[in-house]
Amino acid sequence: MSGANTHTVGLAPDEDAARVAAEAPDPALGLISWRRVALLYAGGLFLAALPFSLLSGDLFWVNLFTYTYLFAGLAVAWNVIAGFGGQFSLGHGVFFAVGAYTTVRLYLGWQLSPWLGILPGAAACALIGPLIFLPTFRLKGSFFAIATLAFNEVALVMSNYMESITGGPRGLQVPFRAGVANMIFTNPRAYTLLAFGFMALALGVVVVLMRSRLGYYLLAVREDEDAARAAGISVTGVKLRATAISAGLTALGGGLFAMYVRTIDPLTLFSLPDIGVKFALLTLIGGMGTITGPVLGAFLIVPLEGYFRAALGGAGPGVHLILLGLVMVLAALFMRRGITGALDAAWQRWRHARPK
Amino acid sequence: MDSLLHVLVVGLLLGGIYGLVSLGLNLIFGVIRIVNFAHGELVMLAMYGAYVCYATLGLDPYVSVLIVVPALFVVGVLMHRLVLQPLHAESSMQIFATFGLLILFQNAVLALTRGEGYSVPSKLAATTFEVGDIRVTMSRLVIFVALTLAAIALHVFLKRTRIGKSIRAVTQDRQAARLMGINVERTFTITFGIGAALAGLAGALLAPIYTLSPGIGGNFILAAFAVVVLGGLGSVAGAYFGGMIVGLVEAFAGFYIDPELKQAIWFVIFLAVLVVRPTGLFGQAGAEDVGFREQT
Repeated sequence: MSGANTHTVGLAPDEDAARVAAEAPDPALGLISWRRVALLYAGGLFLAALPFSLLSGDLFWVNLFTYTYLFAGLAVAWNVIAGFGGQFSLGHGVFFAVGAYTTVRLYLGWQLSPWLGILPGAAACALIGPLIFLPTFRLKGSFFAIATLAFNEVALVMSNYMESITGGPRGLQVPFRAGVANMIFTNPRAYTLLAFGFMALALGVVVVLMRSRLGYYLLAVREDEDAARAAGISVTGVKLRATAISAGLTALGGGLFAMYVRTIDPLTLFSLPDIGVKFALLTLIGGMGTITGPVLGAFLIVPLEGYFRAALGGAGPGVHLILLGLVMVLAALFMRRGITGALDAAWQRWRHARPK
Repeated sequence: MDSLLHVLVVGLLLGGIYGLVSLGLNLIFGVIRIVNFAHGELVMLAMYGAYVCYATLGLDPYVSVLIVVPALFVVGVLMHRLVLQPLHAESSMQIFATFGLLILFQNAVLALTRGEGYSVPSKLAATTFEVGDIRVTMSRLVIFVALTLAAIALHVFLKRTRIGKSIRAVTQDRQAARLMGINVERTFTITFGIGAALAGLAGALLAPIYTLSPGIGGNFILAAFAVVVLGGLGSVAGAYFGGMIVGLVEAFAGFYIDPELKQAIWFVIFLAVLVVRPTGLFGQAGAEDVGFREQT
C-alpha cells in the first residue's frame, strides 16, 4: 500500500479477508475446549522456560531472562487494555511505580513481607487506576495516549516532591537481608522463577479473560464503540474493568521489579523508554491484541537490548541504542502486524502454497 | 507589583520558547495526526546544526538559521517519506516508529559527541537591556519576536497560498480533498517538512540559550504536547497563545506556589482542558474525534 493514491474506500476482497484474519485475536479461543486451552497454555510456558533452563548456568543470561519474563508479563498486562481494549495507554508507568513504592514502603516502614506488601499496591491500582483513567476514556486514539502520558509526568513530579513517602529524587533502598520471607535471595535464579511465575499468572488471567463475556465485550468495544453500545454493552464499564485488571497486574510487576533491583527512584520508575513506553513497544513489536504477541516481543527485544549493551557498550556511548532504535524502525516498517502477524502471514502462505 | 511584572515578563518569554517549539509539532499533529515523539529530537538536531555552522564556518547562530532551517526541512521530508508514510494506515506503529527515531537520533548524537556538552556563543544573544527594573536577555526576546513573525507567516501561508489551502483541505476531510484532486500524500510530506523546518528554527534560536546535550529535546517535547492540546489542534493561534499560557502558568506557579511543582500544575491544567474541552482553546469542534481507526 505504498502508492496510497490507490488506497481509497475499500480493500480488495481477499486482502480484506487477510486483514480481518490478521486482526482477529488468537482465533476462536472460546470455541476450543478448556482442556485444549490448558494444554496450549502449559506447552507455551514450557517453550518459554526452555531457553532459561538451557542457559541458567550463565549469570549474564540469568539476569537477562529475569527482565525478559518480567517485561513479558508487564506487556501482557498492558495489552489487556491497549491491545484488546484499543486504549493506547502511555501511563502504565504510574501503576508500575505505585506497585514498586507500596511494596518497598510497607517493607521498610512496617517490615511487612513483600509477598503480602505487593498486594495492597496491586489492589489500589485496580481500584484507583480505572478512576484516574475515567475522565480520559472519552478521548480517542492519540489524545488518549497523550493524556495518559501526562499522568506519567504528573506522577514523576509528585514522587520527586513527596519525599516522606517516596524518598524524593534519591529514592528508596532495600537493604540486603536475604531470606525467603523478605523476598530477597542470594541466588539470582530465584528472581527469574519469580518473574516467570508473574508472566505465567498474567498469561493465565488473559486466557481466562478472553474466554469470558468481558473479553468479548472488550473486543466489541475496540472494534466499534457505537455498535457495542447499541448492542447493550456498557462501554465505560467494560473499559473500567479491563483497566482494573491491567493496572493491578502492572502494579504486581512493579513490586517484583522493586524487590529485584532493590533501589528505586522516580527517574527509573517513570522513565518512558525503559518503563512507560516500553510496555507498548514490546507489545507492538510482538503483535497488539494477541495473547502470545507481547511475550514474543519481550523475548526478542529484551535479550537483544541486553546483548547489544554487553557487546557494544565498549564501542562508545549510545552505540547499542542506535542499533536498538534502528531495529525498532525496521520492525515497524517490515512487521506492521508484529511478530505474530508476520508468522501468521507466513503460515497462511505456506498453507495456500501446499499442493492439495 | 514589581515582582508581578517581573514574573509576567519571564512567563511570556518562556512562553515564546514553548510556542516556537510547538508551532511545528502542532502543524504535524493537527494535519497528519501523527504523534511525533521525535519532534524534540528535531529541535536537538537543529541546535547541533547551529553548533556545526559555528565551529566550521564561524557563523553566528542567528545567521545559521539560513542553513539549519532548509536542512531540517529535508530531514523532515525524508523522515516522512521513508518511515512515516509507509505506515500511514497504522497509527500505533507510527508512534512506535517515531519513538525508534527518537532513540536513534539521540544516541547517534551521543555517540558522535561522546557526551561532551557544547555551547554556541553569540554576541548578540548575550546582550541584555533594561526596561524599568526588568532585565531582558536579547536571546529570549529574539525568540519571542521570531515566534510572532513565524506564527503570522504560517497563518498567511495556510490562508493564502495554494499549498496552504491544500493543507487545510486535507486536515478537514482527506477523502474529499483526494476527490478534489489534491495529492494527499505529497501534502502530508510537505507539511511534515514545514513542521520539521519550524523545529529547525526553534533549535537554531535556542542554541545560544542552552548547553547542548543529546537529551535536550526531552525538555521541550512534553511542554510542546501540552501547548498543542491546550491551544487546539492545527490552530496557529492555538500554538501561539497556548505557549504563552503554559509559560505564564509555569512562571506564576514557580514563583507563588513552589518551583518544584510548576510542571505538575501545568500538567493538571492540561489534563483538565483535555477532558473539559478536548478541542483545545482555539481548536475546531470535532477535531479530536479522529481516533486511530478513522484515519484512512
